[in-house]
Amino acid sequence: MAEEHDPKLSRHYRSLEPIEPPPALDQAILAAARRAADRPHAPLVAPAGRHRWYYGLAAAAVLMFAVALTLHMERERPDPEAAAEPAPQLRLERELRGVIKRAPEAESQPAAKSQAPAASADAERFAPDPQAGAREANRLADHATATAPQERSRVAQAPKPVPQATPASPPAPQAAPTDEMRSRPAPAQRAKVEAEAKAAARREANAGQEYAASAAAPSMNRVVTPAAPENPERWLERIAELRSRGKHAEADKELAEFRRVYPNYRLSEVMRERVEGR
Amino acid sequence: MEAPDEQLMLAYRDGNAAAFETLYARHRARLYRFVLRSVKSRAVGEELFQEIWMRVIEARARYTPQARFTTWLYTIAHNHLVDHWRKRGLSLVSLEGDDTPGASPDPADHAAARESLARFAAALEALPPLQREAFLLHEEGGLSIGEIAAATKTNEEAAKSRLRYAIAKLKAAMSDG
Repeated sequence: MAEEHDPKLSRHYRSLEPIEPPPALDQAILAAARRAADRPHAPLVAPAGRHRWYYGLAAAAVLMFAVALTLHMERERPDPEAAAEPAPQLRLERELRGVIKRAPEAESQPAAKSQAPAASADAERFAPDPQAGAREANRLADHATATAPQERSRVAQAPKPVPQATPASPPAPQAAPTDEMRSRPAPAQRAKVEAEAKAAARREANAGQEYAASAAAPSMNRVVTPAAPENPERWLERIAELRSRGKHAEADKELAEFRRVYPNYRLSEVMRERVEGR
Repeated sequence: MEAPDEQLMLAYRDGNAAAFETLYARHRARLYRFVLRSVKSRAVGEELFQEIWMRVIEARARYTPQARFTTWLYTIAHNHLVDHWRKRGLSLVSLEGDDTPGASPDPADHAAARESLARFAAALEALPPLQREAFLLHEEGGLSIGEIAAATKTNEEAAKSRLRYAIAKLKAAMSDG
C-alpha cells in the first residue's frame, strides 16, 4: 500500500482550490431527504393509519355476502319432484285460503256460473285440490251415515262446474292449468288419489246405496268426487243404471239435477229413453 | 463520540432526517470534489452530485450495512459517472473544454507555488479517467485498494494498477516543474 500512497502528493492534492457544493444545492438535497423521511416506505403491508378499518369492513361485507348467498342457495335448492310443479301447488293453496280467486276461469264460463252461482263457486274453489277435498271429506265424514243420499247429492254438486272443462263442453283457456294441477299433486299423493279415484268411481257407478257404505271411508269419496268429477256422459250412465235397477225416484232426482247443471245438454234418443225410463 | 456512517444511514432509513443531515455534512465536500474533478464541468458535476444523493435517498429502504457507507456512496457515484461517460461516449477521455476551477492555470498570473499546483491540477486532469477515478477515490473517499475495486466493480489487481499508474504520472508532473 506504501506504493499507492504518497504523503507529498496528497498534500499537493489538498492544496488545490477547495471547492464545495453551492448552498442552494445543499438545500435542495436536504429538503428532498426530509420529504423522503416524512413519507412512509412503499406500502408492502396494509397501512396502520386511519384507514385500517376500511379493509376490515370490506372483508366483513364480502364474508356476509358470501354466507347469505350460500344460505339462500341452500334454501332455494328445489326438490327434483317438487321443482317441476311448485307454482300450481302454491296457487292451489292460495286459492284454498281465498287469497286468489279464480275469477278468470269463472268469467270464461259465465253460463255455468249463472246456473249455479254458489255451488259452482264452492266447487271451483275446492274441486281441483285433492288435499282440500280430503279435508272437506274428513269434515263430512262425521255426517255420512243414514243421510247418505242427501250427502251424496251435496257432494255431487261440487264437481258440477268442473265437467265444463271436459271435452263435452269447450274448455276455457284457464281450465287447462286446472286439469294439470289436478293431475299433478305430490307424487305419493297423486298415486294414492288416483287409485282412490278409480275405486270410488266404480263404487259410485255401482249403486247409490253402496254409497252410504262407502261412507266408512268418506274421505276417499270426497276426495274423488271433486278431484275426478264425472262428465255428463258418465252421470247419465249412472242415472240410466239407477233407472234400470228400478230406483226411479233417485233417478228422477239425479236427472233433474243433471238438467239444472247442464240445461243445454242435448240427449240422444237412446240415452233419453234410458234415463227417462220411457 | 460521533455515530458511524452506517448507523446514521440506518437511522435515516427509519425516518430520522437529522441523521441524513449529519451524513451529508460529512461527505458533501469530498464527494463534490470527486465528481467535479472526474467530469471537469461544474454544471455537469453539480447535476451528477445531486443525482447521486437522490439515489442515496431513494435506496435508503434497501440499505444494509454490508460494507462501509463510504464504499456504498462512492459505488453509487461511480455508477453515475459510468452512465455519464456512456452517454457522452469518449468525450470525457478528452481534456478539452474543461471549466473546472484551476483547470486553466495562467502561469503568468501565478507565483511559483501556484505554478506547482497548476501543474498538479493539469496532470490530474490529464490522467486517464479510470486512473483518475482510482486516485480520487483514494484521496477523497479514503478508500483502500479493495474498496476501490469493489466500488469500481473490478478486481484488486486492476484497482491497484490504476492507482499506481496515477500516482506515478502525478509525481512525474510535479518533478518536471
